Amino acid sequence: MTAFTRRNMLSGAAATAATAVSSVTLPEPAAADAAEAMELFVTLSAAITGIEPTTLAPAVDPVQIKRQYFAQASTDAAFSQLLKITKDAPSPAAAAEQVMNNPDPAIKYLGRSIILAWYTGCWYSPATLQSQPPVNPDTVISAAAYTQGWMWRVGQAHPMGYSEWRFGYWAADPPPLDAFIGKHA
Amino acid sequence: MRGSRSLAIGILGMCWLVGFTGFSADAQTRRDINPPLATCDLTPDTIADPKDPSKRIAQPVTPALLTSGQPCEEVVSTDGLLPNDPLGNLQRGFDFYSWLTFIAVSSPADGKTIGQGPRPGGDALTEWESLKNYRPLADVMLPGGAKPTWGTRIVPNACKKLDGPGKTVMQVSEEAWNQPFKTGPLIDQSGHYALFDILMNEPMFEFILDNELYSVAGQRQFSHEIVFPEGINPDQSKKPPDAGRMGAVMLKTSWRVLDPVKDKGLIAKFHTADTLIYFPGPPRTAAGPICVEKTLGLVGIHIGHKTAGSPQWVWSTFEQIDNAPDESSVAPGPSSPRHNFFNAACKDCPVNETPPQPWDPPASLQFRSDFRSQVVRKKDLPQEVVDEVTDLNRQFRAILKGTVWENYELITTQWPSDAKNPIDPTGVPAPTYLANTTLETYSQGTTPLASSSCMACHGNATTQHIPATASDFTYILEKAQ
Repeated sequence: MTAFTRRNMLSGAAATAATAVSSVTLPEPAAADAAEAMELFVTLSAAITGIEPTTLAPAVDPVQIKRQYFAQASTDAAFSQLLKITKDAPSPAAAAEQVMNNPDPAIKYLGRSIILAWYTGCWYSPATLQSQPPVNPDTVISAAAYTQGWMWRVGQAHPMGYSEWRFGYWAADPPPLDAFIGKHA
Repeated sequence: MRGSRSLAIGILGMCWLVGFTGFSADAQTRRDINPPLATCDLTPDTIADPKDPSKRIAQPVTPALLTSGQPCEEVVSTDGLLPNDPLGNLQRGFDFYSWLTFIAVSSPADGKTIGQGPRPGGDALTEWESLKNYRPLADVMLPGGAKPTWGTRIVPNACKKLDGPGKTVMQVSEEAWNQPFKTGPLIDQSGHYALFDILMNEPMFEFILDNELYSVAGQRQFSHEIVFPEGINPDQSKKPPDAGRMGAVMLKTSWRVLDPVKDKGLIAKFHTADTLIYFPGPPRTAAGPICVEKTLGLVGIHIGHKTAGSPQWVWSTFEQIDNAPDESSVAPGPSSPRHNFFNAACKDCPVNETPPQPWDPPASLQFRSDFRSQVVRKKDLPQEVVDEVTDLNRQFRAILKGTVWENYELITTQWPSDAKNPIDPTGVPAPTYLANTTLETYSQGTTPLASSSCMACHGNATTQHIPATASDFTYILEKAQ
């Protein structure tokens, strides 16, 4: 009998990380199309946020916050164009360049909306972003999104009112930045 | 790798013990608090497909699993029945582990197979009700911080005249009737309080004993990190294999009062215990000192198990199948099924609301007004998990058919999806939320911090050291006197 333990499980997890974005079960129209769309969304999200895809959307991910951001962003009419740009681009970096500097404001500002969603857990619609600053978000995407905002991690902190850290953490220095956001420039 | 790691832990553990207890000849001969076991159940939830060994098929759920033993550690894999779903495959593995654990600890204390006890439905005094295997919290955290002893049955004077063979003793404190964070008692449809009890296995007890954590004074002198012994599977790559160890296990049980006459038709659906319920009197209870005898029916059980793979512990929770309907399937009407904590005929009863004060139970355990808890199970689990557990429950309940144990179901298992996450000491729990309708009735849901999550909650548990220190995911140490 082959005994699986968490130790060899972890190596299995690493092996499946490459296909992580296709592990999501999404509703119709077609699971394969939906999986590809999610993969493209994570690829683009990683490129425009600067966070590794496997850090942004781990292979074993009980939170699945990407589903909420995908669902929110896909309500925008320009969303399919962002995915097409990502699919056709020679690299994720090229896709990010084409989206963020796109002459079409519908695409450019949707890219910004997605960045802000990942970092703040809030949805700033492209229309809102095109208004005169300062702007307020249209909505907090969800309670879970609030806890998952990457801005807290970049600041080596935790959201106000929410922490998984152990009692007394406030008396010690936070872990190094790498621990929060993985590899970074 | 595992062998060297275990050895390193063993050496460190010895140095650590020597360091703070003072080395002596006694220490050299002290028995291993987490002894090696030859009986760890290593059954995985999937096996290689004989037709195509590159594929996995489901482990057949057969009566052989009723005697396969207790897992010392989870046996899980990212590969499994679900293609490209490592999370789902791991969840199923943990849920399979939970059922094996539930069957093992609920088997008769006399060694018989589960469901083959002498009572109706094959019921019997279980492994976890035997003082050979588990000890109630009240018998560990003694008045005045007295030193507890393993295996000694404590019967309060007020209960002695009611005592007899096969009876269990439950000491009432606030934790026996009030839910976590003092959110209130749970009142069944007969108007009785639900009762809760906490137990621990011998490795957990011995760790507390060895380190004098059974008293406030002992905890205040303990300046090291609390690390309970972990369960670990045998390393079969070694020759001879390294033995497995069970590690710390703690249980929390929930019970409803059953009337042997009025509830005669229901009793066969419950594991029951003839229990002497001791109210010690003020300040711990409003009633007492007094002892009452009740037949209690098990309505819920949490099993927390610390393992090498899950240092945040593995959290399994089971319920009696008639506790409460799902929020989405509530169908008020006289023909709806009977529930322990829900009245389908009451259309206006607010759901999941705490009873009116005062809450202290009288010795009758009958609530003072006509309030009855109207409990529904809120949807706090991903649908994929619900579907997977429903299928597993069907299979395991089938092999328990004809016994009282077919009337219990796994809700699911919470486990650390990233146990070594450097910024989340709770190990990114999967699923994020988990509640038992009898034990976390009022904190069901999906609100961060407010809704029930075994690991997120227990990650906040501390000792009574000054300043307080983390207590390795147990609130048991807070009960020391």
